[in-house]
Amino acid sequence: MRGARSPFRPRPSRWRGPVELLSFTLYFLCAVLLVLSRIGHGLLVNVRDDFVDLSAPLLEAASMPAILGRHALEHARSYAGAFAEIDRLKAENEELKQWEWRAKSLENKVEHLRLLLNAVDEPALHYVTGSVIADARGPFLRSALINLGRDNGVRIGYAVINGDGLIGRTVDAGASVARVLLLNDLNSRIPVLVGPAGVRALASGDNSAELRLDFLPDGAKLYPGDEVYTSGSDGVLPRGLHVGVVSGSPGAYRVRPHAELSSLDAVSVLFFDTPTLTTTDPPVLPDPRALSAAPEATPAVAAAPSPTAAQTPAVASPPSATDQTPAVAAAPPPAPEQTLTIASPPPPIVSSEVAPVETVKQTVGGSEGTASVEAQTQQ
Amino acid sequence: MSTMQPILSVLFAVVATAVPWGLPADATFILPLVVVMMVFCWRALPGATLSALAAMLLGLLTDIVSGGPLGFWALLTLIGASAGGYAKDFGAGPEVVTLWLFWACLAPGLALLGWLLASAYFLRWVDWWPIAVGAAASVVLFPVVVKGLRWIERGSFALGARANYRGRA
Repeated sequence: MRGARSPFRPRPSRWRGPVELLSFTLYFLCAVLLVLSRIGHGLLVNVRDDFVDLSAPLLEAASMPAILGRHALEHARSYAGAFAEIDRLKAENEELKQWEWRAKSLENKVEHLRLLLNAVDEPALHYVTGSVIADARGPFLRSALINLGRDNGVRIGYAVINGDGLIGRTVDAGASVARVLLLNDLNSRIPVLVGPAGVRALASGDNSAELRLDFLPDGAKLYPGDEVYTSGSDGVLPRGLHVGVVSGSPGAYRVRPHAELSSLDAVSVLFFDTPTLTTTDPPVLPDPRALSAAPEATPAVAAAPSPTAAQTPAVASPPSATDQTPAVAAAPPPAPEQTLTIASPPPPIVSSEVAPVETVKQTVGGSEGTASVEAQTQQ
Repeated sequence: MSTMQPILSVLFAVVATAVPWGLPADATFILPLVVVMMVFCWRALPGATLSALAAMLLGLLTDIVSGGPLGFWALLTLIGASAGGYAKDFGAGPEVVTLWLFWACLAPGLALLGWLLASAYFLRWVDWWPIAVGAAASVVLFPVVVKGLRWIERGSFALGARANYRGRA
């Protein structure tokens, strides 16, 4: 502190009165906004959605360097450990060959039983793939903004997955962007089935990296590593989406999500409409198709998922006591003759004339394992 | 210095809070607190001008891009702006160390208020650890941010020992 003035004596100002009044008004305004936000005032929600829509291109542009940097870092890491990775992949490949044989055997058996029972095919699940353009961090939310909105057919309540498993569900949907509430958010509650026995529970987020398992029945026997998947009993999420694996100890079981929620990139939104969703968030477009349907596609281009698209969506069949599916959420692309319940897109058909595809719309076959892919370019 | 420089620099930081950096869950509070810290600095540094209204609007923008409740970061930013104004009145602006001490006292208070506010908003005790980490990191990052702001104002990282604005206070 230099100079003749005492550093602890406020400087005189002619404007102190009005400035203090303005400050008080602003503090009051903040308090009012907090209260309105708490009660979920519709006007605030609409204004926020509109603003997020407007700022989406800026956020997307600002996110690009970070995303590219992360990719470069991942590539550098993978190059550094390439030899170890090759060894690991060889071992994993050997193991997966055994699983492939077992899966084919089970598929044949399931197909045979389905024919005997004259079972009805499950409806196809459509999905659209985009990328995360912004993170929302803070004490309140674990959410992400994605570059898919109502224009792409996304509505509030849709499940969002990536190649590893479920990551959350949409809670806001603007014209071109949607906000995804991640699994580990404080407000996230997902009804799940745990383990081969299918023990019912509620996976609750608490803003940490893992989820809590609430409302487990008394005497439920769980083991670390047990698979956790959605039960679909909420009428919002489809049944059988991989969530994670059990960790922790009795009395304090947790779920470690398959998906790395802190570094998301490409994600897919599942079009899974149920009466619950159509009541709370009516579709913009008339939906002539059944349980789930993608919106009408804009000029479709026969193309495969772009390099930025998500990996195979983690749509899993609910395991039975005799069906010990591997803990890997994403299945390898099935050959046409396969009849996997886990469906995945066919091998890519890349056309050099097709412009870079930002959003990929796909249709995942139900129990038949067939898949049709259509892509739409977006600006 | 242009009056837009502080606003644009904080706006840049607000956009940076929304970028998916891939930070771990415990580090989620750091970037928004950097926004508050920048507002505090712009209000405290001699020669800089950033109105309380602009500070609140920037905080509101942080609320919007972060998806949190509207008013939360606006309130914390406004408190940071007010504290910066008082720091300037008390003559803490020219000295980096004094300003740093000021922020070191303010950051835990902001973190505590944020934690209480978040807990009151959700009617449960939210996890305090990320907020504490954010506050501690903001104290550590303070000299770097001040250096950056000085560069924005002067256009260079001129070495000035401990004094931030030698000869201007």
